[in-house]
Amino acid sequence: MERQEAIDILAEGRRGAISVPTMQSVFPWHEAGQGDILNVDASQCMGSASTIGLGLALAQPSRKVMVLDGDGSLLMQLGSLVTIVASGVNNLYHFVFANGLNQSTGNQPLPGQGAFDWVALAKASGYKHALKIAEAEDLLEQLPHVWELEGPVLIELTIAREDGPARWAGVPMARQVASVHEQLATS
Amino acid sequence: MTDVQAVATGVPAEVIAAEIDALGITHVVCVPDSFQRTLIARWQAGNGPRFVGVCTEDEGMGVNAGLYMGGQNPMMCIQNNGIFASINTLKAIALDANVPTFIMVGQFQRDVNKTIEEQSSRAVRMLEPTLDAWGVPHWRIEGPEDIGALKAAYERAWTDQGPSVVIIGAPTL
Repeated sequence: MERQEAIDILAEGRRGAISVPTMQSVFPWHEAGQGDILNVDASQCMGSASTIGLGLALAQPSRKVMVLDGDGSLLMQLGSLVTIVASGVNNLYHFVFANGLNQSTGNQPLPGQGAFDWVALAKASGYKHALKIAEAEDLLEQLPHVWELEGPVLIELTIAREDGPARWAGVPMARQVASVHEQLATS
Repeated sequence: MTDVQAVATGVPAEVIAAEIDALGITHVVCVPDSFQRTLIARWQAGNGPRFVGVCTEDEGMGVNAGLYMGGQNPMMCIQNNGIFASINTLKAIALDANVPTFIMVGQFQRDVNKTIEEQSSRAVRMLEPTLDAWGVPHWRIEGPEDIGALKAAYERAWTDQGPSVVIIGAPTL
């Protein structure tokens, strides 16, 4: 599926979840109107989306947290799959946009591109549920059911290659951190 | 035989734990460290803040940030090599994103009978210059008399909305 298709479906079906997008999902997530007070971008710390999401999930167990990760990003903190499971959180929904590329730096292939399996990695790490979704219509159909699953859940989204320059939302992370903190610390 | 006078002496784990409890810390995000072994064992046993074990210090910076945004009062517990390993997230999250990040750092491989400047371990000698290079305020705990450093560093992290470090110079007792 195209990244924009996946973003639009996740935005429409967000259900008030706290969101943590990273890298090339940040700009379209904002374009889809999701850069709100319950969103923080992991833009300048590639690899950290999953652990920022974990901290939020631990802090706010009654809320759902969705991480919009990249495959190249998650490889940078692959151990976080184990850390997430070990923490015992059940409210983390981990969407991995998998195009096999480091898109932000010019679409260089990932190490081991095509040779590893995100669903198998998640299940072997102890995620309660993990599945791969390749088509937009399947994501649209399955997303409501995904939210009913006990976390942690990993959804691998097969994303088509995109060419062109990297795009960034340009919102300072410090401003988002302050906003999310203000919203959640007082709620 | 010449008596060797220790430069740094260990602080009992219960003394540090009491200080941490008094600060209202809710979560300790930790990559294990031999200099804080007794303290970590205490927290892992469920005494005090919730213990959150992570695989790397980079992970720890992210978890600490998420906990802070979610309204909790976390801290980190790592060793000197962990600072070197996590400079990118220290920069991007703790410094640039203004996340209060209070960190206890054990001086792994420090010889307690020598000053920091006399250490053979590069990791021990370069910890403070590295923190200085990034503008991270830091305090030393070289013995029980320095216990006030914990409160000072904690308050600085929240005042600055950034990182602060307490360096544990001898194994906790």
